[in-house]
Amino acid sequence: MSKLVIAIPSKGRLKEACGEWFAARDVALEQEAGSRGYRARFAGLPEIEVMLLSASEIASSLLAGDIHLGITGEDLLRESAPQIEGRLAMVMGLGFGFADVVVAVSNAWIDVSTMADLDDICAAYAATHNKRLRVATKYANITRGFFAHNGIADYRIVLSAGATEGAPAAGTAEVIVDITTTGATLRDNGLKILDDGVILKSQATLSASLTAEWNEGARAACEKLFAALGADYRALSAQF
Amino acid sequence: MSALPYYGPSDIDALNTQAVTLLKLFGARGYAREEPSVLQPAALFLDRSGEEIRRRTFTLTDPSGNDLALRPDLTIPIAKRLVESVAALPARISYNGMVFRHESKSDLPVQFFQAGVELFGEADKAKGDVEILSLSVEALRAACLKDFTIRMGDLGLFGALVDALTIPEHWRSRLKRHFWRAGYVETLLDRIGHGDETSRLPQDETEIAALLEAQGDAPRAGRTRGEVIARARAKAAEVLKLDGNVAGAITRLLSISAPIEKALSDIRALLKTAGIALEAELAAVEARVALLKSLGVERVEFNAHFGRSMEYYTGFVFELRSLSGTELAGGGRYDNLLELLGAPKPVTAVGCAIHTERLLATIKGGA
Repeated sequence: MSKLVIAIPSKGRLKEACGEWFAARDVALEQEAGSRGYRARFAGLPEIEVMLLSASEIASSLLAGDIHLGITGEDLLRESAPQIEGRLAMVMGLGFGFADVVVAVSNAWIDVSTMADLDDICAAYAATHNKRLRVATKYANITRGFFAHNGIADYRIVLSAGATEGAPAAGTAEVIVDITTTGATLRDNGLKILDDGVILKSQATLSASLTAEWNEGARAACEKLFAALGADYRALSAQF
Repeated sequence: MSALPYYGPSDIDALNTQAVTLLKLFGARGYAREEPSVLQPAALFLDRSGEEIRRRTFTLTDPSGNDLALRPDLTIPIAKRLVESVAALPARISYNGMVFRHESKSDLPVQFFQAGVELFGEADKAKGDVEILSLSVEALRAACLKDFTIRMGDLGLFGALVDALTIPEHWRSRLKRHFWRAGYVETLLDRIGHGDETSRLPQDETEIAALLEAQGDAPRAGRTRGEVIARARAKAAEVLKLDGNVAGAITRLLSISAPIEKALSDIRALLKTAGIALEAELAAVEARVALLKSLGVERVEFNAHFGRSMEYYTGFVFELRSLSGTELAGGGRYDNLLELLGAPKPVTAVGCAIHTERLLATIKGGA
């Protein structure tokens, strides 16, 4: 890795928003010919290699040190590893890709509005059914951390591959932890967010891997890019 | 220390020799050795111990698709076996074997040896506590550790004070459930005092039922209509007024961490202020102190907040530490575990586990 490698989302709304964000800072993103859409570059910055990866791959590549910089959702970064301190640095939120990671329960649970209520329900469920309440989510690490912080131990995580909001109706889980932007999907499924159940207010974030190889060339390129983007290079370089 | 230890010839020899000494002592006291398999059904730990244990448990799926776990302790497999084999009680069991626990700090070993004892079904709890405590002290001495300190706690004292509070039952169980979380019980008590748990639910049963009907076809999600209405009514009727004296006593109890004599006189003083008598509980603590004195153990500390991080402890808890503060052995009472594992009626249980590698290192280091 002699060049500076930055990864940006390869598809969907995040990809478009990224392009607009760079364009607004006069950094033009150009598709590299013949790369089948997996590579790009910034006009006038040949020392930077731009890779197009899926948002979750960007999170794991940052943690593994395979790339220097990456743009992906904070939710995916926090889910990728319970401890990110010392492994990656979040440089700046980019003001798009907003989503909240929330704890939601059925509207029919009229007696449940807080995590303390949920704690009671978990304990009562374990006592009466002799098995644990199931929480469907694709955010197992975030869920574990938040439930532990709220002192809830009597539950089980059911990994969900998609359509998590349907789990309570389908009977595959009693509670869900999922992302939401407007809350409409949750409402449509008869679910409500707990008052103190917003775990994370996530947005697209420019992050730097602290485990990647930061040689002279990569540092110089990063400083140049950050100057163009209005990001704080000093705060980052202090962590290398 | 490495996360994946390698035992050289002299290391493993020394560990084996020490294990033989410990098991011989346990055997002489009537504790027969058992050895559960290293791989256990994952559900055994995950269903009962919750996500906190899951976070630290290594799990795997075998080629046929069965979920297995590397045992994070031997207590649960041994207790499970006891439940299934319908053994005669009281039962005395000892063990020595490898356990596996994921550590968030990458330099701590994820596998280590534990030697321990379990006493099941001893009806006289105070007698059982004393038996396990004295055997633990004997074991460390048999391994040639000259000096160590003891830290004790008792979840029973806390439970008895909480029972003395005039608050709804689910608040009592909430407080007991969160005993082991530093600071949180105080937060809960504070919350009761200030009543920010105000309910938005109507008081009237018909209105509650109407509110539930208004939710349309929202999923029941594992709870019956009756369960929801019953809890909603209880919550709406909740008038949280805390007896300030008792709440104060609980907060002060949790802050006690002192040499045992001072701790006991502090506890007596705070019980007197709160107007609560806990003679049986205090007598049990004093019996343990007298035992330790007769065994010549001088450094005994009582820490009322000390409840161990494993959630299954229910009463007396203790920890034996090196003079430099390393935890060498720990144990306590866990009277609910066997019922959770399927025993048809309650079976008392008390036990202790020794971290034999730390014990050996402490002895070698001359501490």
